[in-house]
Amino acid sequence: MKERTRRLVTTTAIASVAIGLLSGCGGKQETGNSESAGGTSTSELSAADIIKKAAESGQVGNWGLGNEYEVLALLSKYELPTSYLSQDFTMDGFDDNSILLASAMTYNELGLVKNSYDGGYGYGDSVAYIDMNDEGVAMLEDNIFCTKSFAKENPETVAAFLYASLKGWEYAVEHPEEAAEICYEYGSSVSPEHQAYMAEEVAKLVSTDMSGATVTEIGFMDDSAMEQTLNIAKQYVTLDDATANKAFQSLTLDDIRDASYYEAAKASDGKFDIEKKSVSIQLKWLPDAQFMGYYVALDKGYYKEVGFEKVDIVSGGGDIAETTAVNNGTVDFGVTWETNLASADASGMDLVEIAQIFQRSGLVLVYKPENF
Amino acid sequence: MEYEVKLKKVGRKKTLRQRIKENKSWQNLSTFIWPLVFGLIMIGLWQKEVLHSWFHTDTFTLPLLNKIGGIMGDIHEKLLENTISTVQVAFWGLLIGSLLGYLIAVFVAIFPKVGKGGLSVIGAFASVPVVAMAPVFNNWTKDVSTDAGFRSMVSKIIVVTLICAADMGLNAYRGLTEIKPYSEDLMAIYAAPKRVTLWKLRLPNSVPYVFTALKVSVPASIMTAIVSEYFAEYITGVGRQIRENIVLAQYSTAWAYIATACLIGVVAYIILMVLQSICLKRYH
Repeated sequence: MKERTRRLVTTTAIASVAIGLLSGCGGKQETGNSESAGGTSTSELSAADIIKKAAESGQVGNWGLGNEYEVLALLSKYELPTSYLSQDFTMDGFDDNSILLASAMTYNELGLVKNSYDGGYGYGDSVAYIDMNDEGVAMLEDNIFCTKSFAKENPETVAAFLYASLKGWEYAVEHPEEAAEICYEYGSSVSPEHQAYMAEEVAKLVSTDMSGATVTEIGFMDDSAMEQTLNIAKQYVTLDDATANKAFQSLTLDDIRDASYYEAAKASDGKFDIEKKSVSIQLKWLPDAQFMGYYVALDKGYYKEVGFEKVDIVSGGGDIAETTAVNNGTVDFGVTWETNLASADASGMDLVEIAQIFQRSGLVLVYKPENF
Repeated sequence: MEYEVKLKKVGRKKTLRQRIKENKSWQNLSTFIWPLVFGLIMIGLWQKEVLHSWFHTDTFTLPLLNKIGGIMGDIHEKLLENTISTVQVAFWGLLIGSLLGYLIAVFVAIFPKVGKGGLSVIGAFASVPVVAMAPVFNNWTKDVSTDAGFRSMVSKIIVVTLICAADMGLNAYRGLTEIKPYSEDLMAIYAAPKRVTLWKLRLPNSVPYVFTALKVSVPASIMTAIVSEYFAEYITGVGRQIRENIVLAQYSTAWAYIATACLIGVVAYIILMVLQSICLKRYH
């Protein structure tokens, strides 16, 4: 009895120490925030100075995994070494100052940094950021794509899917608040407040181009923007597979995009003779307002109107390679970035972009002015 | 002499197959030959795209071996650089973890009442998935150094250390305590102090158990190193390269890194086997 009690006590003691240690790592250092709020943010530095300073101390952050090319292009623009720290999918590194210049999407991480709702860091307007569009190194992000063979065999299906999806996007851009609510109902990965913020910001990306001008036709594939993206990609993507790399370097826009389906959708009166009544689309990330157009189209019945019986919106996230999923026929359509599509095609996939949803880059580099 | 001859006459004549089966050197050889034959068949099936039709895949996701080999040749410098980074993490984690685990086992063997609970806690640590531990230690080691490459390595080593320590601790404890009953009695009869029993009896008895632990933790250390690279702050290592390439749909290159990871595992295991045969000679 005595021995048993003793053993029990030691076990619980050690266990509680272990749990205590582990729970300690989740806590945020609140002191860091209050200190920084009173910092000296008066010194006006140019974007160039900030980038130089962060790069010289090796504290520029990005997620990597194909998201890094705009950052690399920016660093090269200022003739700085092109190395960066790997950011995880939180902004803790930015919060604890281990990353001075952190990558953020305007519609996601930037909101988390600024806002103080659940999951936010609450920095408000005390943070500033460098916009890739202003720096001339913007690359195009979310598009819609499918395989060339699928498009060829099901031209009406592709045009109908575009027609309904673009209608969904148009509605979402005009009514971001409602779109956010719809997304939330369809199994959102984030809180309703953040969803509303996201919808607001995504609408801006869909309806403004890289130069800041308003986009009149949602989903239009602008050649100059696509060309800029492809050129930056060619400069900073090196594929280790020599044959793929050669193919990548010789890619032209005609290899990776086909505007005919978009034009067919635009010219249509909404009546289609679709070949495949049940289709699916693979998202690039977890379900949220980044993809609100599809959820709106689904919710408002736009897909039904053009003749689809069933449209599946398949969640992505983490290491889901949307290009692979579409190429091997698991899903019919997908959302990816032009660079991913181009590199997949270079290594032998058969993918083609059929519409460009985001017309400008959503990537910014966020920083705390008092650190510079 | 006569007796022997009689036996031969009485006993049933063995078939050739049976004789081959009972031949010692054939037995030794066959442990080698069958895996080799299996490997060759697999290589044949792979290269001739039979595997592809079985698993309904294409040469894109499962590239042919000559393609993978070609890429490995092309990028061997990059492969080496990433291999060194991964092996360093696995090696230091394995070394520190195993030492730590062994020390804990010795401690528990000496003070069983205090330590036994600790052993179960360590066992619990080992069952925490690496994907959960890696980001945690990433955040923990932020203050270790201003050099991201170094601190990221430290965090990876800690994860490997924990996994290996648990494995070694649990196994070595068995080796230190599961002793032939009479030998412990014998030591008692000699009035040997605890220290001597530990030194002369328990430690030598634990050596085979140490190798049992290593047989699990050597491959585990490499696997853990590879997985924790996914989450590391500094981008390097075989595992990280596998992930980067798969996201960009560069399967051939990803396979080149997967093959490298396999090679690291196989080489490490061979080294361990050689070490074991040297160290355990007197046990056979």
